[in-house]
Amino acid sequence: MTAVLRLSYLSLRTWLRERITLFWSLFFPVFVLVLLSAIFGGADEERYMRFHIGLVNLDREAEHADFSNMVEQAFAHLAEPKAEGREQLFVLNTPGEEEDPEAFLDRTREALRQGHLAAVVVIPAGFSETVGAALHGTAAFLQAEVKLLYNHGDSGSELAASIVEQVLADLNRQVLVQANLYERDQEVPASSSWVGTADGAVRYVDFLLPGVVLMAFLTNGLFGVPGSILYARDERILRRYWVTPFTVRKYLVAYSMATLAMCALQLALLWALGSGAFGARVPLAAPLPGLYLLLSAVTFLALGFIIASLSKTANAGMSIANILNMPMLFLSGIFFPVTGLPVALQVIVYANPVTYLVDGLRVSLDVGAGKLPPWSTVVVPLLWIAVAVAVAARKLQWDVDQ
Amino acid sequence: MSKPREVLLRVTDLKKAYGHVQAVGGISFQAHRGSVFTILGPNGAGKTTTLEILEGIRVADSGEIELFGETARRVTEQMKQRMGVLLQEGSFEPYLRVHEVLKLFSSFFDHAVPVDEVLERVALKDKAGALVRTLSGGQKQRLAVGVALVNDPELVFLDEPTTGLDPQARRNLWSIFQELQEADKTLILTTHYMEEAEELSNHVCIMDHGTIIAEGSAEEMARGLGQDSIIEFEVPELDSSAASALSAAGLALEHDDGTAVLHAPELTKAMAGLLSWAEKHDVPLTNLSVRQPNLEDVFLSLTGRRLRE
Repeated sequence: MTAVLRLSYLSLRTWLRERITLFWSLFFPVFVLVLLSAIFGGADEERYMRFHIGLVNLDREAEHADFSNMVEQAFAHLAEPKAEGREQLFVLNTPGEEEDPEAFLDRTREALRQGHLAAVVVIPAGFSETVGAALHGTAAFLQAEVKLLYNHGDSGSELAASIVEQVLADLNRQVLVQANLYERDQEVPASSSWVGTADGAVRYVDFLLPGVVLMAFLTNGLFGVPGSILYARDERILRRYWVTPFTVRKYLVAYSMATLAMCALQLALLWALGSGAFGARVPLAAPLPGLYLLLSAVTFLALGFIIASLSKTANAGMSIANILNMPMLFLSGIFFPVTGLPVALQVIVYANPVTYLVDGLRVSLDVGAGKLPPWSTVVVPLLWIAVAVAVAARKLQWDVDQ
Repeated sequence: MSKPREVLLRVTDLKKAYGHVQAVGGISFQAHRGSVFTILGPNGAGKTTTLEILEGIRVADSGEIELFGETARRVTEQMKQRMGVLLQEGSFEPYLRVHEVLKLFSSFFDHAVPVDEVLERVALKDKAGALVRTLSGGQKQRLAVGVALVNDPELVFLDEPTTGLDPQARRNLWSIFQELQEADKTLILTTHYMEEAEELSNHVCIMDHGTIIAEGSAEEMARGLGQDSIIEFEVPELDSSAASALSAAGLALEHDDGTAVLHAPELTKAMAGLLSWAEKHDVPLTNLSVRQPNLEDVFLSLTGRRLRE
């Protein structure tokens, strides 16, 4: 047992001394987590969606500015930090006390064009008056138009614009209700609710983190097994073991333990970073997610053994791993949904054990809908492990062939 | 002379074929405790296959191995506990440190010598903390010897231990092997260096094409060729009249790849004859040397080839 533990420990040490292993096993997953969190999750405090918009009230100086003030206040309210348990949706840019609104408008237009602002809301002069007149039936509502400027083609800007439109529609309705001009019966009943963690929305980092952890585990299995075992075989490092009382079985146990220890290290690092820097809250150490993580690590190790069994040399094994790595990652739903694909790609998706493991893991963490039957998320990976054991037992050469 | 020691290793009619190639064709030999038993032969003679069977890497097609008094078809784990092996092309994880390698291999055995002792024995104390990948060829080979010694083995297999090393590194290893022999270890050595066999062994067997073609101590075998001295000198080519004049002077000439070889039963007479012949035919006796027959000559006389062809 000492021999197994020692080999296991020393294997891990050698991996941590090799720059290439350090890069792919530790640095790269961290990089992916940081990059994707920064792009899609917003860094640090900004893990909720938040838009910078400009608000220009050209009607402020009017005698009865009731309606324009109402619009302005509605946006100001949405821009208050954590107002009434709601997350701050907008960061508002308004002209300073002394600033000319027209000059400010020019400035915000430019900021919008350059992408510093997501949208600009313009309340035209005479707005309150026109609305008032319209309510009394002496003018058309159409003449009282709040202008919305946004950047066409910029998805962030378009999204901000559609939210602003909704806010304006809501205001519209409130005004009409007040004036008794609104028929509630005409409203289509609708309600929305979040699916996911108890305290609200599923944050992107909580969705992403389990995926990145599996990606890191996959690297260990796919590249690690052919890379280190076949290398050691071809360099006659293994042969040196076989002329001692140390056996293949003991070696296998030691190697697997070292790989699992590496997985634990990756998990600890990614989890610490995900929760520390990006506020991830997924309970990765809970019993069920823990079992899925273990199953994943073992399944990927098994896949590595299949590759090693089918390759003549370490280099050939690494090439096979390279070919498999990308489709296994991207046709699994680790990073993006995999719906609407051509049939040929669907076949890969459903043969890919990663698809099942990531689905099972996300459901167990309550950050995914679960598109697959729950039993399949355990049975399919187990089948792959069985295939690996059968193939490796028949095909894997433990010594160089002369 | 000391009385004959116990037989530690006995091999009987060992055979191994790879496809149609008979690598080892029914060889038998025995090695006594405390001796250095050398298998000498050219590349492809079957030396390494023989050793790999004895080390437990390969299984013989037929034949019997008796090790430490036990007979077996293949080497057992219990036997491995008492053996040390230096593989011909074995290596170690490049990112392990020297002392880690030794500790790792120590943990494979029931009984092991302290790592410091091994480091001392193979003169790697100052390299204990170095990564394997930073070692020189000679240092790597000393580490390999150290690994073969971690379990204080009774029997040590050394498969071409000095191939590819510079003369200094080779001498360093030889002195380690001599110390082992003094410590009553039994060494089974393969080599294609005649000097190595002569320097280290008590018993040499010469192998060619999978069979043993001669066996005995180095001196015994050389003596078997007679008491003739051997005179050599370099000469690109000899015209036939010069060659026949030499034979007429009673000197049997062999011309071997630019070197003229003369077997001289009486050295004084032969030298006198040679010198007058050389003067007459204007032959510069480049690199003239006189020596006693060695294992190379034994091999040459048995096979008509040189060892390193």
